[in-house]
Amino acid sequence: MLTAQILAVAIFVIMFGVMISEKIEKHWVTLGAGVLTIILVFGVAMQSRDALFETLNLKGIITKDFWITSGEGGESSTGINWATIIFLGGMMIMVEGMAKAGFFRWLCLKLAKLVNYKPIPLFLTFMIMSAVLSMFIDSITVILFLAAVTIELAKLLKIDPVPMILAEVFCANLGGSATMCGDPPNIIIGTGLGYSFFDFLTNTGVIAGICLVFIILYYYIIFRKAILPKAGEKIDFSTIPNPSDAIESKKDFTISCVIFAIAVVLLVTHSMTGLTVAFIGTFIAIITLITAGKNVLIILKKVDYQTLIFFTGLFIVVGGLEQTGILEAIASFIGKISGGNIYIMVAVIMWISAIASAFVDNIPFAATMLPIIKSLAGTNSPMLSCLAWTLSIGTDICGSATPIGASANVVGTSIAAKKGYPIGWGKYCKSAAPATVIVITVSMIYVFIRYCGGVEV
Amino acid sequence: MEQFIISVGREFGSGGRHIAEELGKRFNIPVYNRHLITEIAEKTGLAHEEIEKYNESPKSKLLSRTVRGYSNSIEDNIAEMQFEFIREKAQSGESFVVLGRCSESKLKGHPALISLFVLADMDAKIKRIMELYELSEDKAKAFIDKKDRKRKRYHNYHCSSHWGDSRLYDLSINSTRLGIDGTIDHLESYIRARIRK
Repeated sequence: MLTAQILAVAIFVIMFGVMISEKIEKHWVTLGAGVLTIILVFGVAMQSRDALFETLNLKGIITKDFWITSGEGGESSTGINWATIIFLGGMMIMVEGMAKAGFFRWLCLKLAKLVNYKPIPLFLTFMIMSAVLSMFIDSITVILFLAAVTIELAKLLKIDPVPMILAEVFCANLGGSATMCGDPPNIIIGTGLGYSFFDFLTNTGVIAGICLVFIILYYYIIFRKAILPKAGEKIDFSTIPNPSDAIESKKDFTISCVIFAIAVVLLVTHSMTGLTVAFIGTFIAIITLITAGKNVLIILKKVDYQTLIFFTGLFIVVGGLEQTGILEAIASFIGKISGGNIYIMVAVIMWISAIASAFVDNIPFAATMLPIIKSLAGTNSPMLSCLAWTLSIGTDICGSATPIGASANVVGTSIAAKKGYPIGWGKYCKSAAPATVIVITVSMIYVFIRYCGGVEV
Repeated sequence: MEQFIISVGREFGSGGRHIAEELGKRFNIPVYNRHLITEIAEKTGLAHEEIEKYNESPKSKLLSRTVRGYSNSIEDNIAEMQFEFIREKAQSGESFVVLGRCSESKLKGHPALISLFVLADMDAKIKRIMELYELSEDKAKAFIDKKDRKRKRYHNYHCSSHWGDSRLYDLSINSTRLGIDGTIDHLESYIRARIRK
């Protein structure tokens, strides 16, 4: 087993190193590492067919529970998390359909018009919109459209778009943490532990809501002067684009709004209906493609298959660590250093997640940590949920601290730079790092008060 | 050949910049080096110094990340803007000289492209840099090494080919052999022959 463990860790570490070097695209890196795990760890070192099949996890897809479950926890929890991959694929197809119809640009322009293009209300509205949209749609897409419209409007309104983009990115990450489908780590945690959309909303959703109030206040205080136009600047309101111009086809626009509404309803009610996220993703993808008409191929071509491949490879590599007992050993180490004290465990997981997520991709981190917290909690369900919410908040929100901590940050800063507003590490961290500290502190206090008291270790 | 684009890659201290500028004068076409920075500054509203700071600089791999083709690295974004700019210029039918910016790779396959690489003996490069920057021999050597390392990293990050590899260019020339002026004369006749063809 020792050889298998060494190989599994070596593959994991090399995978991370190559991913950071960006020499090879990261989906090929994880897929290659996954293939190496199958050959070297499961094949050569362990010679275990069971470990391989458990990690590939293909049997789960053909069971009824994978699509419709009568209770909680029907979905897979080890190896490749197909529910996550299928759901993400489905949502990507829906989002492409919405983008094609002009939904996001229309929404941004409409809200801007509603607040009469006044800088402060615009700033606050875009922050809230960023958080709310990210609850249902991946934060990359939200920031892709929001940052572009923010810069376009800021140029016309003669205001600095950088503070707005920084605040929007932070709120997108915060909003993503509120729901099961908002951020990939939550989908991994939710499907891995059998939690519902509603479970997330009533736990991480509440934490995110409280943090959002603090964050809006914080960004308002630090940026209220920076986003005002210089005195004497004349603004020509006739040059501001009309929201209706964003809509290419009214029919497509209406259809995409209806599909989005159906997706939200299905997600909110899935613990009642028993429909799993894999079912919802597939259903939403099918109705998007059926209603897309001649645009089917355009939508399918735009789907981010690289991310789906990335997930598949990643789950196999993490499966290697799991099957060889490495993650169990890490869990027992965390258990030991915390001396069985839940408060210390929460603090350790929160801060490790926070620091790691600020510098590396939070998806592999969450996928690796999930089996660790499962092993730590064992059959102690209150402890498991306490650690799960801690992990979720830690990985989702703390990626906001640096320009590379979360995908939305990278996309937001990249769009700003391309349009002539470069945001370096200093400028980014100056506002985002204190905001992250506020959010971690508030979240940790909340977790201590709400969950830790009721956990018997 | 109605349109011609002269791409000049160069080692630091080889006189490549001077050669590019001189070729621009002889053929009466713009040279995109400083001018490239000015054009991007005008287009984006970015400060001149800001672009200069990140110009032809490799990014820090530890401090940057790319997501779906979007990079947080300012170096990457400035580089992309410059590549886009030279592609647009090439597409417009304009003739010009472009210094560095991976132009030999970014415009590869363009029928008007004439790609050159200027190198020189280390002794000659040191002498030139000592005179230009008023540096001691050791400092000049260290400065050349640093600049060339930076150019190499920048080039090899943005292109799949290797900086200075003779297979990448139509003509690689050592400016020490004929001297800077002799090299310019030689390159001029080569370019004229290419244009006539």
